[in-house]
Amino acid sequence: MRLGRYELTLEPRPAPPAIFTALTAVVAILLALALSSFLFLSSHTRLIDAYRAVFSYAFFNPHGVLATVHRSIYLLFCTYAFLVPFRAGLWNIGLPGQVYAGGLAAFAVPFVLRAHDPQTLPLPPGLLIVLMIAAAAAAGAATGGFAGVLRAKLQVNEILVTMMLNSILFWLVAYMIKEGGPFMSATGEGESFGLPSSLHAPLLLGVPVTAALALGVAVLLDLLFAKTALGYRIRAFGENPAAARYGGIIPVALSLLVFLLGGAFAALAGYHYFAAVPGVYKIPGNYGYYGDLGFYGIIAALIARGSSLGAVPIVVLFAGLSVGARFAQGELRLPFGVDYALLGLLMMTFVASHVLYHFRFAWRRIPSEALQSVPTELPEG
Amino acid sequence: MWELVARSLEASTIFLFAALGELIDQRSGVLNVGLEGLMLFGGTAAFITAQTTGSHALGFLAGLALGGLLGLGHGFFSITLRGDQVVSGMGLWILSFGLTTYLGSPYTGPLGLGRIPSLWGLSPFFPLGVALVAITWLLLFRTGLGLAIRSAGENPAAAEASGIPVTSIRFLCVTLGGMLAGLSGATYTLSYNPVWNYNFLMGWGFVSLALVFFSMWNPWILLAGASLFGIMWQLSLSPELILPGVLSRYVWRTVPFAITIPILCIISTPWFRTRWGLAKPEALGRPYAKG
Repeated sequence: MRLGRYELTLEPRPAPPAIFTALTAVVAILLALALSSFLFLSSHTRLIDAYRAVFSYAFFNPHGVLATVHRSIYLLFCTYAFLVPFRAGLWNIGLPGQVYAGGLAAFAVPFVLRAHDPQTLPLPPGLLIVLMIAAAAAAGAATGGFAGVLRAKLQVNEILVTMMLNSILFWLVAYMIKEGGPFMSATGEGESFGLPSSLHAPLLLGVPVTAALALGVAVLLDLLFAKTALGYRIRAFGENPAAARYGGIIPVALSLLVFLLGGAFAALAGYHYFAAVPGVYKIPGNYGYYGDLGFYGIIAALIARGSSLGAVPIVVLFAGLSVGARFAQGELRLPFGVDYALLGLLMMTFVASHVLYHFRFAWRRIPSEALQSVPTELPEG
Repeated sequence: MWELVARSLEASTIFLFAALGELIDQRSGVLNVGLEGLMLFGGTAAFITAQTTGSHALGFLAGLALGGLLGLGHGFFSITLRGDQVVSGMGLWILSFGLTTYLGSPYTGPLGLGRIPSLWGLSPFFPLGVALVAITWLLLFRTGLGLAIRSAGENPAAAEASGIPVTSIRFLCVTLGGMLAGLSGATYTLSYNPVWNYNFLMGWGFVSLALVFFSMWNPWILLAGASLFGIMWQLSLSPELILPGVLSRYVWRTVPFAITIPILCIISTPWFRTRWGLAKPEALGRPYAKG
């Protein structure tokens, strides 16, 4: 674009410094928050009150803080589930499906072992809980791994396969918990049976053990990508699959591995939500809401640019925002879905920041020779 | 029986419009995986406009316009900025999913306008869809513009060298594709199922995207595929018509999605790809840098 003597162009940034990465993330989030002000305009409330309602509930109200912690754990696992395949250049958008797979498998353990009646526990409860977690992770890994194998062996588009699996598992959960399905609660209210109290995930300082797991994985994943050969292979494959293959990296094994890991993480999110959050301990009728919330994991991993530790503060903020927004929605009588609208806005600002991350606006003075006007008068003769 | 067939064909037009738009997109070399998002936005805009103004026509216009605008946005990111097309497409989808949930929720419920008149029980959109398939085929394979579109998708550098404005052609195609996706969403919310509810599409857009791959980028095969999926979709909603009392209705709902996966696998086998490879636009998903 030309403006007088200057030209404005968009040119690629060679190698953005690390501080710039953090800065774009902060800018993207702030911009999304600024844009979300428009959502609150319809509510006839002062903007500042709306934000105060969101943040004070999410981070200062005792109920809100607990809800934020639980949701953070859930979203952290979803973030890893997207992040690991993404480092290998693959898109795992099957988070809801893998979450459901994890929930179903976890509940299958007490169901199959006839342990949903508290009087007849066949095994020690500790062992049963470990079994539930293992079953969830295995089911999620299988669901994810299925997409990974198809991608690796046949180059089947993983976005399509994981999305189809989301719909399939959504309806399978409906079958299992509704209209006389095997997991339906005794009261027949379209939700699963509740876990007996001995099978609730143990609490550490009032927080489910899954919290420790989620934070531990954050450290391990960053170490994996920064310090190990496997992490290096995954990154190399993500940057340039063809070059990676020349370098002796086996695409099939790698695609399978990242999807197995991703699926297992999403399933742990499912386990956490359905079997470890106090007050839930069942697959509720509105499980679809929590499944779709998993998409926050995509945006968190994208904004954190693949760093699992970097994702932690982002996820806590998003969890708080979505919890607080849901609260403010009732308080300020806003339409349903403020939390989803925020998700959409974050995605938009992320794509915009992605552009600024890779490109920069450059002002160039156009050399005066190039601007020299053509003589208007014909030369003599 | 005719009622079921007519309803299935109406369902298939929704797949068809969206997939046809995506086919034109992809023929010019641009991949838009956010098809479902464009449909959600088009459908929601059409629903809100129709309900507030009481006019179906304005609703359709709104759907077309918003779809085209979003297509243009995808074009800006993927053509002008040469960004990753998957990032932009996924961004569009999540943006739409989030914003339409919020914007549409005050309108949750039935549209409350009269039904769009049908021809012998068949929705007028099906003949429109067939006509659009014919027009697209003629455009792509029998006109100079079609040749330009296809060459932009196969080898943009060679196309540019022979005087084809690749950037403009691609922008034209993403806008057209977006408008068709918007039309598809509008057809869903104004005619097929005139009720707005949370995430009403639930995967139609992604099935449409898969249909484009199945069609080997040929509009006529796309028509056949869309019709087949329309029938399958309708049967999955009312399985009692063929197999009463077998399995839960929820299990039947998984069928259209479950069938998509093996078909995707078959068309991806090396045996099939020898055919497929010939039809897939060579430069699909790759940004084009002039110079």
